[in-house]
Amino acid sequence: MMKKSNVIKVTKEEKRQLFQKNIKRDKYLILMFLPVAIYYLIFCYLPMTGLIMSFQEFKPGNGLAGIYTGEWVGLKWFQQFFESAFAWQLIRNTFLLSFYSLIFGFPIPIIFAVCITQIKNKHVQRSAQLITYLPYFISTVVVVGMMTNFLSPSTGIINQVIVKLGGEQINFMNSPDWFRRLYVISGSWQTFGFNSIIFVAAIMGISPDLYEAMRVDGANKRQQVWFLVLPMIKSTIILLLIMSLGNLLSVGFEKVYLMYNPSVYETADVISTYVYRQGIENKNFSFATAVGLFNSLVGFTIVSISNWFSRKFNETSIW
Amino acid sequence: MRKAKLFIAMTLTLSIASSALIGCGSKGAESTKGEVVEDTYNYTGSAPITDQEGATLSILASNSWYSTVDLTSDDASIIKEVEKRAGVNVDWTLIDPTTYTDAVSPMLASGSDLADIVFLPDLDPNSSYIKSALFEPLDEHFDLMPNFKAYLDANPNIKASLTATDGHIYYVPIVGLTDNYLPVIMYNQKWLDQLNMEQPKNLDEFVTMLKAFRDNDMNGDGDTTDEIPMSVTSSETAKNLQMMFGPAFGLNLQDGFYVDDKGTVHYSYAESENYKNYLNFIHGLYEEGLLEMEYTSLTRDQITERFAQNKTGVTFDYSWQMSQLYSPQFPEYDGTNGIVVGGAPLSGEYEGSYIGLNAVKGIFGVTTDSKNQSLALKFLDYAMSEECQDLYVWGIENESFTVNADNTRSFTEKALSDNLWLQALGINPPCLPYHNSVEATNVLLPRWHVDVDSNLATMTSAPWPQIYATQEESSVLSQYLVDIQTYADQMAVAFISGNTSMDDFDSYLSTLKTMHVDDIIKIKQEQYDRYAAALK
Repeated sequence: MMKKSNVIKVTKEEKRQLFQKNIKRDKYLILMFLPVAIYYLIFCYLPMTGLIMSFQEFKPGNGLAGIYTGEWVGLKWFQQFFESAFAWQLIRNTFLLSFYSLIFGFPIPIIFAVCITQIKNKHVQRSAQLITYLPYFISTVVVVGMMTNFLSPSTGIINQVIVKLGGEQINFMNSPDWFRRLYVISGSWQTFGFNSIIFVAAIMGISPDLYEAMRVDGANKRQQVWFLVLPMIKSTIILLLIMSLGNLLSVGFEKVYLMYNPSVYETADVISTYVYRQGIENKNFSFATAVGLFNSLVGFTIVSISNWFSRKFNETSIW
Repeated sequence: MRKAKLFIAMTLTLSIASSALIGCGSKGAESTKGEVVEDTYNYTGSAPITDQEGATLSILASNSWYSTVDLTSDDASIIKEVEKRAGVNVDWTLIDPTTYTDAVSPMLASGSDLADIVFLPDLDPNSSYIKSALFEPLDEHFDLMPNFKAYLDANPNIKASLTATDGHIYYVPIVGLTDNYLPVIMYNQKWLDQLNMEQPKNLDEFVTMLKAFRDNDMNGDGDTTDEIPMSVTSSETAKNLQMMFGPAFGLNLQDGFYVDDKGTVHYSYAESENYKNYLNFIHGLYEEGLLEMEYTSLTRDQITERFAQNKTGVTFDYSWQMSQLYSPQFPEYDGTNGIVVGGAPLSGEYEGSYIGLNAVKGIFGVTTDSKNQSLALKFLDYAMSEECQDLYVWGIENESFTVNADNTRSFTEKALSDNLWLQALGINPPCLPYHNSVEATNVLLPRWHVDVDSNLATMTSAPWPQIYATQEESSVLSQYLVDIQTYADQMAVAFISGNTSMDDFDSYLSTLKTMHVDDIIKIKQEQYDRYAAALK
């Protein structure tokens, strides 16, 4: 708007025509997009209206309308959450679990992708990739079951090795100190192969001419990675980083729920498991909604901030 | 411009249409339920309950606890028989009991399209369903429910438990055993015999026994370190360790709350003396290696495997498992003498006891919106009548039981040998208001087990009764009690494992105070007083 003078003036009429033309041209694309739009509308935007429950006293039994017709209680549920003895522990656990997952889980696929693309033998490369991304398809229940078995103090193989080597048994699954490590390590193990696919694709997309040019200039492997590969996939990295930052406060409910028990609540109880216990098990639907809303608001704020930073310093951003 | 508007309009229409479609879906289902039919048939408590042809009812309830048994199948003759006698066709929606709460709570919360009769996912302790008027007050229809009324008059404590704060009765109960076949301590009798020991009576004897189990080569494989003295679980759902030792310290850790001789209510987890002693004792067991590290995650399958390998000496579980699960793990078990045998509760500073269970195990309600309300009321009443109870206990004549010459009954060979078949027949069906009976359980079990149980049934104490909360009470309870329980569970594990020192016990108590434990105890006291008054 400020730079009006520099731009060729577009009249309203022309704008309208352009819009029409675009629609006509892309009508099939729009049609293809329609199911996606409807999906999001029904499953993401429509349920959002239910957030109003977090400011109301929900009474069961009034059908869908019950969500919108509860008695107005203002910020009572938020106040109750922040006054609860667990608020701080929950926020801290949720944040730390995702933070560690990000810190340790994010670089590994990148490093792995860089390494694997340097392998010359195509067969070795393919099988390495296949082996590493297969765990992604194991269900969480099975992964946690495997952990419980391997790590059991009495019968688990890991503890048997530790004892044979003269160490003390470690009660991995019931110790608050170990919970985060186990969560992060098993999570990275399961996803690093799959997450590296995007980076491998990005690296593969770099023109061979550039490598050639570097080799002519006498660059070694290390320099090639540092000055060519990493800068070329920078925008992909940042994009994915911002997306994962958005999930910073939404750690996977299933895995924590499967792994935890009261002995590790201290480090393992996160907002989503608390919402489950309060909402489904104890039927405090309004309270659970309020806590969930708080979680989403913080997540949204973090995405906005990181996106703003990224746009400011890197010219790469989601919006 | 007009075309653009058209496009937007179309998108909007589409989205509205789609949401309208969702709405239509549910309404459509409702209208197929049929019109309200005024029923003039005079029901007096015995079958049939209606003279209409093709009367139908819908029931939402829990399926069998045996995962391979489906009570909606044609094998469930007992349930079919109830329907046939009543003259009603039941449209069952049966949900797996392990996921029942998760599946049904949201259905009740939305409150639309409910079945005529619903089995509730819990005992509605905060009367949240009563408050939202989902279920019909049954006492206003007692003219249609003669059996239920007579039953309540004969059982005042069940009536007191079922009476809501507004004085109405909303639910028909499933009634369980209160003193028989409770969870009990079980000993590996082989090990006790080897050591020439008697079953311990108090905590000191018990610890001596555990140490002997730990230090000797009990299973005779030449290794003195592979014996696990005690295999007792303590998880959120199975508080076995707490039930086993709580009473010896004067606590009821199972229900949390208990009332002393003077009628004062206490919260076990906030008792400064007794609870501290309890934690100290368990911590001692843990330190000595008598309570294993894995006690919070131990499962029944693991314990069974240990008995199969003759590796463990003590467990705590439902009495039923003595002869039905654990003893048969030993190859030499022939059914005449138990190998894993229940023993008396342990005494400490207080005399030991097993804390009994509340008679009300589950509840059924008739929904207010039901189109077949009077039929549903009558069916529920008939389903809890003596006639049906007889069916639930014994099953079908000449299939599951036979009548002897002296007019007594006994189960058939098949019923006694094939428990799964008996379950599939619908014995004690969880989808109908059955009553457990001691006699019917006794005939299913070997002689030695019945003897042990009838002895142990004399050593029980009363549980915390089931009492409904008022609106104000339930809002305070739901605000504080869940957090308090979570914190107490978490700290109990920390104290026992030694992650938190017992020196911090006072700060634990003061944290409980800041979490409003006193308000909770005050409410529980008022509730108890109300219950005591209702009993009179």
